[in-house]
Amino acid sequence: MTQLITPAAIVDDAAFVERPAEPSVNLFASKTVRSILSLIGGLAIWEFVARVVVHNNAFLAAPSTVAVRAWEMLLDGSLLYNGWVSLQELLIGYVLGVVVGVALGAAMVQWRGVNDALELWIAALYAAPMVALAPLLIIWFGIGEASKIAVVFIMVIFPIVINTQAGLESVDRRLLLVARSFCSGRWKTFTTVSLPSAAPFIVAGMRQAVGKGLIGVVVGELFGAKAGLGNIITTASSVFDMPTLFVAVVTLAVTGVALTALLRAFEVRLSAWRDVA
Amino acid sequence: MTVVIPPQPTAHETPKLELIDVRVEYRGRAHNETLALDRTSLRIGAGEFVCIVGPSGCGKTTLLHCLDGLQQPTGGRILLDGRRIDGPGPDRAMVFQSASLLPWRTVLRNVTYGLEMQGVSLAAATQRAREMIELVGLAGFETRHPGELSGGMQQRVNLARALVIDPEVILLDEPFAALDAQTRELMQTELLRVWDATKKTAIFITHQVSEAVYLADRVVVMSPRPGRVKAIVDVDIPRPRPASARRDPQMFAIEAEIGALMEHDAVVPA
Repeated sequence: MTQLITPAAIVDDAAFVERPAEPSVNLFASKTVRSILSLIGGLAIWEFVARVVVHNNAFLAAPSTVAVRAWEMLLDGSLLYNGWVSLQELLIGYVLGVVVGVALGAAMVQWRGVNDALELWIAALYAAPMVALAPLLIIWFGIGEASKIAVVFIMVIFPIVINTQAGLESVDRRLLLVARSFCSGRWKTFTTVSLPSAAPFIVAGMRQAVGKGLIGVVVGELFGAKAGLGNIITTASSVFDMPTLFVAVVTLAVTGVALTALLRAFEVRLSAWRDVA
Repeated sequence: MTVVIPPQPTAHETPKLELIDVRVEYRGRAHNETLALDRTSLRIGAGEFVCIVGPSGCGKTTLLHCLDGLQQPTGGRILLDGRRIDGPGPDRAMVFQSASLLPWRTVLRNVTYGLEMQGVSLAAATQRAREMIELVGLAGFETRHPGELSGGMQQRVNLARALVIDPEVILLDEPFAALDAQTRELMQTELLRVWDATKKTAIFITHQVSEAVYLADRVVVMSPRPGRVKAIVDVDIPRPRPASARRDPQMFAIEAEIGALMEHDAVVPA
């Protein structure tokens, strides 16, 4: 009767999931190697087209020319200064958009009334091209950083709201019942059950929002700015200075890739428990 | 072994739980109402192990949800120590049918969950959770996630999560239904061992008669929808009941009797 089951005995009935196999020894099967090769290949084609086919810096600058220009801009400080201005605008607008977006999405799921009041507006604004509002926001907030932050904010907030809603609506009802059975209050149920359940959706929305935020910064700066990468693009393109234009574009692309990778790492950490499930 | 036909349930001096004419109806769309439970009366003594059996759709889970306070009966009263149940409370804990563990929490954090909700400090909760994990035989698995555990182990966590809040009544909703036959029998024996160690009032829902007879002091047989108490069968088999008690002829006799009570219910369309 008082047969004590030791952990060793239970292991038998445990369905441990097999770990993924070791990476293959074949070098070309590695994702990292393939990515690097793809990058080198792409740059080589670009270099070839620019130097041999187009052969005109006003139309297309070769990667090597762009690299030299980037080095000059690093040395004279203009790249760092303008990059920093854009990055600040992006981060402030992005963080505000995420925080307000999550709060709004959560409020819409928690309270029927909030949902009914906002649903139509969110759907309409999500579908509308927000960049079109950039000139308007610049008129409202001036050509300083505030207007760019506002553009980033309205670009970022909608995917976050939509994803937060979707995540919270997909929470397992049985887990909510467990929370209620254990006398969890509304707020505690939200923080201990709903939010962790919805986290993968929210992080997916955050990744999607990085690209939108970057577009927001650049478009905002294109329409009128004193500094920033978008400003470099406007100035450079007006004098057909392609190398400088490409430096700004490549910097934006690298920033986007880096931020997305950062969020991807965060996502992996957040859902570490899923890997074994 | 005696069969008592309601409404005269076995009398107990001071019932821990008392159900008086409990009625639950669901209001569907198109104004049709479904009567899930009707005129259900039952008295359950402190420390008693009661199993409720019945065909699916007889309102067993509804009844358990009413006892836990997750749902309010539309008629009648449910009293715990003479006080009306008006919501979930720390004096009752539920072991859910699907283990319903929080997949992102470790075994340890799943077990501390109920205590955290009660505002117990994490240090104190952790200590009590470790004892309970030990009791259900999962020592060494504290840092695992539910996804790494088998169904049987998940139900052990489910049990520990309920017991750790030290409830007076433990409500079990077909906790072993999804397990294979062998694991199921092992878990039944384990449940009795844990129950012997904690002496809680236990109400266990199942549709498997042999499980009910092996576990219970009394088996409550429910009729198909609307669920009513059809009969209450005492199981006078001494405790502790080792796994071998399953082959006790008296056990078979009681099973056969309950089987006969439920037999013609099975052909009634639900």
